[in-house]
Amino acid sequence: MRVRKRDNNFIERSIMGALCFLKGSVFSDEYASRPGFLQSLDPRIKFITFIIFILAVLFTKSIAVSFVFYILCLALAYFSKIDLVFFLKRTWIFIPLFSLFIAIPALFSVFSPGEAIFSFRVVNLNFIITRQGLYGASLFVARVIASVSFAVLLSITTKHFELLKVLRVVRVPQVFVMVLGMCYRYIYLFIEVVENTYMAIKSRVGRRIDYKKGQHMVAWSMASLWYRSYQLNEAVYGAMLSRGYRGEPVISHDFKAGPKDWVWLVLVTFISGALLYCGGLWKFNII
Amino acid sequence: MHIPDGYLGPTTCGFFYVVMAPIWAVASKVVKKTLKAKQVPLLAIGAAFSFVIMMFNVPIPGGTTGHAVGGVLVAILLGPWAACIAITVALVVQALLFGDGGITAIGANCFNMAFVLPFAGYYIYRFISYNSPVNSNRRVIAAGIAGYIALNIAAGLTGFEFGIQPMLHKTALGQALYCPYGLNAALPAMLGEHMLIFGWVEAIVTALVVKYLQKQDPGLLEEGRM
Repeated sequence: MRVRKRDNNFIERSIMGALCFLKGSVFSDEYASRPGFLQSLDPRIKFITFIIFILAVLFTKSIAVSFVFYILCLALAYFSKIDLVFFLKRTWIFIPLFSLFIAIPALFSVFSPGEAIFSFRVVNLNFIITRQGLYGASLFVARVIASVSFAVLLSITTKHFELLKVLRVVRVPQVFVMVLGMCYRYIYLFIEVVENTYMAIKSRVGRRIDYKKGQHMVAWSMASLWYRSYQLNEAVYGAMLSRGYRGEPVISHDFKAGPKDWVWLVLVTFISGALLYCGGLWKFNII
Repeated sequence: MHIPDGYLGPTTCGFFYVVMAPIWAVASKVVKKTLKAKQVPLLAIGAAFSFVIMMFNVPIPGGTTGHAVGGVLVAILLGPWAACIAITVALVVQALLFGDGGITAIGANCFNMAFVLPFAGYYIYRFISYNSPVNSNRRVIAAGIAGYIALNIAAGLTGFEFGIQPMLHKTALGQALYCPYGLNAALPAMLGEHMLIFGWVEAIVTALVVKYLQKQDPGLLEEGRM
């Protein structure tokens, strides 16, 4: 949940948001189709290795190790032919920047009491930055940016329908996998419906709409979307029956892991283990 | 309210995966039992609907906008167990494909938004609306109150999960390893913004959608459809 403040009205913003979302997804699939290193891996092994990376980042207590993981992630993005400017933009906005912002108060003795390393006065108020605060805030931001980067890299180097199929590997019940796959397709359809609805409203009412009317419009759009979705249900079920659905979903597997994938799995496990071990040795000497 | 990776420690993340596992299992069982064969796509449609309504910008006074979660609305429309599956699927899609909400925090996010939010909201809605007719004003008010209270319960839980991190994970020198704020800061921060802004957004949206559906097709609000 976020609050945004801009000059143009909320209809404009919703349309722009939906368009950006769609464009971002199209770009993601474009990256997933490029002949890069991560794209060449078996999606199941890639998923497992990225979970290992994210867990290693979660478990480390060292800022240096979090930073090494982040550099490793950027290197993987580079070797997978991902435009680094696009990748940095995609990963830094919104979560890491927000985390950086909320970590600032944690630098000070009010929230992180301890050994003072720097102090300054603003209008009779004494602000003290502590060693504990600096360590906690830095580790927090480093951990968030490294984990978010790995999660985004996984999603942009894997075709989305393959990533959803991979969930079978972690024993997610078939009903969830089937619903996930269908849900993914409906999201695009629904965004298009909402976009068309807003475009139609905008073309009829002009630019300025007061907030009360705006709230009614949003609620009406949601109600209308649900009404249309509910009607869609029967048509979709008919289509499923005509394609052979008999009450149990069948999900095909066409993944094939080769020697390169297994070597990558062993390498990632070794690197993550080694970095975590080193982090244990370094953690008290970082700041 | 989507908790990203790195905010919660491994113990908390693991704990919520363990808590959610039986809830997901029961939800699948209940839905499989009660769902008519031809309503299977409705779960996916419900999941996509919960995903899309989280993207709506709702205007609030002062020229700003906020986002609703829509958990209570989905629970009123689908029932709490089906809503649990639909919102879980929406949260997994957000975390895996769009990097919104952490992969390690899926358990905690689902507990707050796919379990506590729809269940609390649904039963508050049922309690207040009681046996009133589907197209009564009481249902509209019940939906608004349920949206407001349930969202604040979920926000309070999120604040609690953030706030216990410095107690659970810190070094011998007192350095925080995950979310650096204790209960005294995290809980008021989360509850404050939700009680003052987002709770009202959720209440208004939930009540108005119920009101519009009463006019458009009251049958969609009847219980026992799924």
